[in-house]
Amino acid sequence: SGKKSDEPKSKLLKLAFNQSENHPQYKALKEFGEALEKETNGEYTLEISPNALLGDQRAATELVQNGVIQMAVVANPVVENFNKDFAVIGLPYIYDNLEHQKEVFISGALDDLFGSVKGSGFEVLGAFTAGSRNIYTNKPVEKPADLSGYKIRVMQSDTMKKMVDYMGGVGTPMAQSEVYTAVQQGVLEGGENNEVTYVDLKHYEIAPYFSYTNHLMVPDLIIMNNSTYDEMSDENKVILKNLIKETINKEFIAWNENVEAAKKIAKENGATFVDVSIKPFQERVKPLQQSVIDSSENSKILYDAIRDLSK
Amino acid sequence: MDLAVQTGMIMFTSLPILLLIGVPISISIGFSSALSMLMVLPLDGAMVTSAQRLFIGTNSFSLLAIPFFILAGNIMNRGGIAIRLINCSKLIGRRLPGSLAQSNIVANMLFGAISGSGVAAAAAVGGTIAPLQEAEGYKPEFSSAVNIASAPTGMLIPPSNTLIVYSTVAGSVSISALFIAGYIPGILWGLGVMVIAAIMAKKENYISTEKTTLAQNIRTILDAIPSLLLIVIVIGGILKGVFTATEGSAIAVVYCLMLSLIYKEIKLKDLPKILMCSAEMTSIVIFMIGVSSMMSWVMAFTNIPQKISILLLGITDNRIIILLIMNLLMLIIGTFMDPTPAVLIFTPIFLPIAENFGMNPIQFGIMIVFNLCIGTITPPVGPILFTGCKVGGISIERVFKRLLPFYVVTTLILLLVTFFPALSIALPKMFGLIK
Amino acid sequence: MNKIKLILDKLIQLFCISLMVLMTVLVSWQVFTRYIFNKPSAMTEQLSQYLFVWLVLYGAAYVFGQRDHMKIVFVKEKLPFKFEIMADIIQEILITIFTLGIMVYGGQLSTMKQMGQLDASLQIPIGVVYSAIPISGIFIIFYALCNIRELYFIKYKKSKLGEDKLWT
Ligand code: NA
Ligand code: NA
Repeated sequence: SGKKSDEPKSKLLKLAFNQSENHPQYKALKEFGEALEKETNGEYTLEISPNALLGDQRAATELVQNGVIQMAVVANPVVENFNKDFAVIGLPYIYDNLEHQKEVFISGALDDLFGSVKGSGFEVLGAFTAGSRNIYTNKPVEKPADLSGYKIRVMQSDTMKKMVDYMGGVGTPMAQSEVYTAVQQGVLEGGENNEVTYVDLKHYEIAPYFSYTNHLMVPDLIIMNNSTYDEMSDENKVILKNLIKETINKEFIAWNENVEAAKKIAKENGATFVDVSIKPFQERVKPLQQSVIDSSENSKILYDAIRDLSK
Repeated sequence: MDLAVQTGMIMFTSLPILLLIGVPISISIGFSSALSMLMVLPLDGAMVTSAQRLFIGTNSFSLLAIPFFILAGNIMNRGGIAIRLINCSKLIGRRLPGSLAQSNIVANMLFGAISGSGVAAAAAVGGTIAPLQEAEGYKPEFSSAVNIASAPTGMLIPPSNTLIVYSTVAGSVSISALFIAGYIPGILWGLGVMVIAAIMAKKENYISTEKTTLAQNIRTILDAIPSLLLIVIVIGGILKGVFTATEGSAIAVVYCLMLSLIYKEIKLKDLPKILMCSAEMTSIVIFMIGVSSMMSWVMAFTNIPQKISILLLGITDNRIIILLIMNLLMLIIGTFMDPTPAVLIFTPIFLPIAENFGMNPIQFGIMIVFNLCIGTITPPVGPILFTGCKVGGISIERVFKRLLPFYVVTTLILLLVTFFPALSIALPKMFGLIK
Repeated sequence: MNKIKLILDKLIQLFCISLMVLMTVLVSWQVFTRYIFNKPSAMTEQLSQYLFVWLVLYGAAYVFGQRDHMKIVFVKEKLPFKFEIMADIIQEILITIFTLGIMVYGGQLSTMKQMGQLDASLQIPIGVVYSAIPISGIFIIFYALCNIRELYFIKYKKSKLGEDKLWT
């Protein structure tokens, strides 16, 4: 095909992304952009702005709300601030594994939830996986008692802090940029994250035991400005919907590949991956889970729907 | 014409005009950024985004260290800590020609080391030591030049507010690592100034007559120990993991305040004034940082840094020449711009280029701050130069000639810092703060 | 107008001084709870950060009132007195336009949008924190008008200027 992007009708979609070009989500988004341009005959082009250049996730969400940019990928807690029910899809131990999570994302079970934030100025088009989060520190963590007195870095959120507290440790909110030195110097004993980030930030150097507590699988959400979406022709909306579904599938595959690559690097650098029986941790965080489920009727329905998709 | 080029042209023509007619630096940056934002966004989008940047640019836990170090510096200034440091440094420098000037240099390094501000050092130390120098027959242009030339070391030797600002624009660069990295370049700067001062003093025959007894010396040292302990507490606390760099700054405030109250040089009723003065200084600096984040946003949105780096790399791909060009540009910028806005504006443009050549962002941070430190003592805009002249009671013209050899020696050290990465990154490596 | 300015000055001073004290206490307390009691607090870091933003915005407004923001004056000072005053008045007008557009208009829009969003650790609407942008903006405009009035009616009419600071 010819160079359609030069035609005046082409609409540029700017997408804010807070990770680097090497992230599996970036790769999936890049393919998405190419496919979108091709299938809409150049009506839409996508420009990804990586490394949080346009601001952190909360700022990016505001930019999408205001139509300054058209799309962003943001973590679930950011959208949780607009509708509390989103907390359910980021609950500890709600998904059994990546397959279960993929099933939930593709099944359409979340469509009502995603539609609920329309009034805030953006659409949620779909969800990516960010893998499972696990605790890493200077020793294997096999039971809650192992975490006793251990300060574990969490994101700056009260729920995250409570979760680590329930798991037996001391949840300590801190900006990610401070964590490496904080752990190294003993302000913290460790952190919790997925394998990819663990390796990207070289945290294996300071906290070499990565224990599969599997406590969280927080989705990342693809959001789009309301008017940008509404202005799309019905035909293009269908194209978009199908492409997003395809992209989510691809992202799960890319994620798995990256996890394997990351683990290999970490192991070569002396990290140990520890398999853990999650039962005792699951029991410990039940009260936290329950409080979210009980918070609204919608939450309960959503929780049951997600659990029903488990095999 | 390319949208990025248009936006860039609007920004880079309106900014100098506004600056030169004397519009506050913050508003000049904000106004020209908003104008260029209007090129690429509708009115509402541009206004909302600008307001958001203003908020986000100031909303950072690392920046919180700045009011605390400013406050600590002001308390030290008033609380008798500066004079104790001067007395102590007189012991170190007294065997060299121009002993009082040498003491001034050491005291500036010590004071700057704990206050994080070169201007504060020039005012506190220079103001206290100038009358002593006059009494010993030093020419005021000599003593003022030495005070001015040595005060910027406080911005390199940790803690340093300018390095904190750099770390927030550079992304995930550890403040602790930057702090440790500043030691060697800062001390080299100090030593360079000491050598020039010694040569000048010898020429003019400033030989010390003062004699002190051992008992006096021991007393002076004992007296200064609580003040010097602050360095141990803040840097030690950061390295030992008791607190982060930001938290360390608040601890510094508490410690200085306790010490000054014990010395009885600050009374509780003096505090509101000290607090308000620190609040004002903080607001001036941080408001500028908030507004500058509008500028970096527009540049990112329109890909201007990439365009500039392509342009720069189009001239040559020789690493040495590119680094020399960057240094030259920053030296020029430093002559008329303050370190904080300069760091905010030029880090996003130059850092990607430097990283492209394999330069560690820690080394780049030290290099850019070193550059701008030289700028603080050059006319037409030089806050340390002005402060030093003010406390020395002397005009800029008279000091300027005496400063020339100092410009030469600091520029030579800058070249060392640029081309020998080890000077900046060996220490953080040793402490395991970077790989 | 002068009387209101003096009252506003005093109020902002009181506010900023209290914030400085509060921030120092909060951050020291944070070290204390984590290091001594091993019980880090989820809200001190976020709260002190927000108080800091307020300090900066209201403090900056106060400094606009004092005409004490950093500026480059070596060119302006070379101008004849009449033009210097004119440049000063232009500055204040530019400050007013900037503040009106970005801080008051943009800030107000942004604040309204953020009222529906809760901060994760403090559980207050982020809009409450944002509100400092338009409010301090209104103060800045008030100060700018005071300054224009003083520049024009007092300095210019009297046509004799005292010593201006070289580095302001
Ligand atoms: Na310092
Ligand atoms: Na200068």
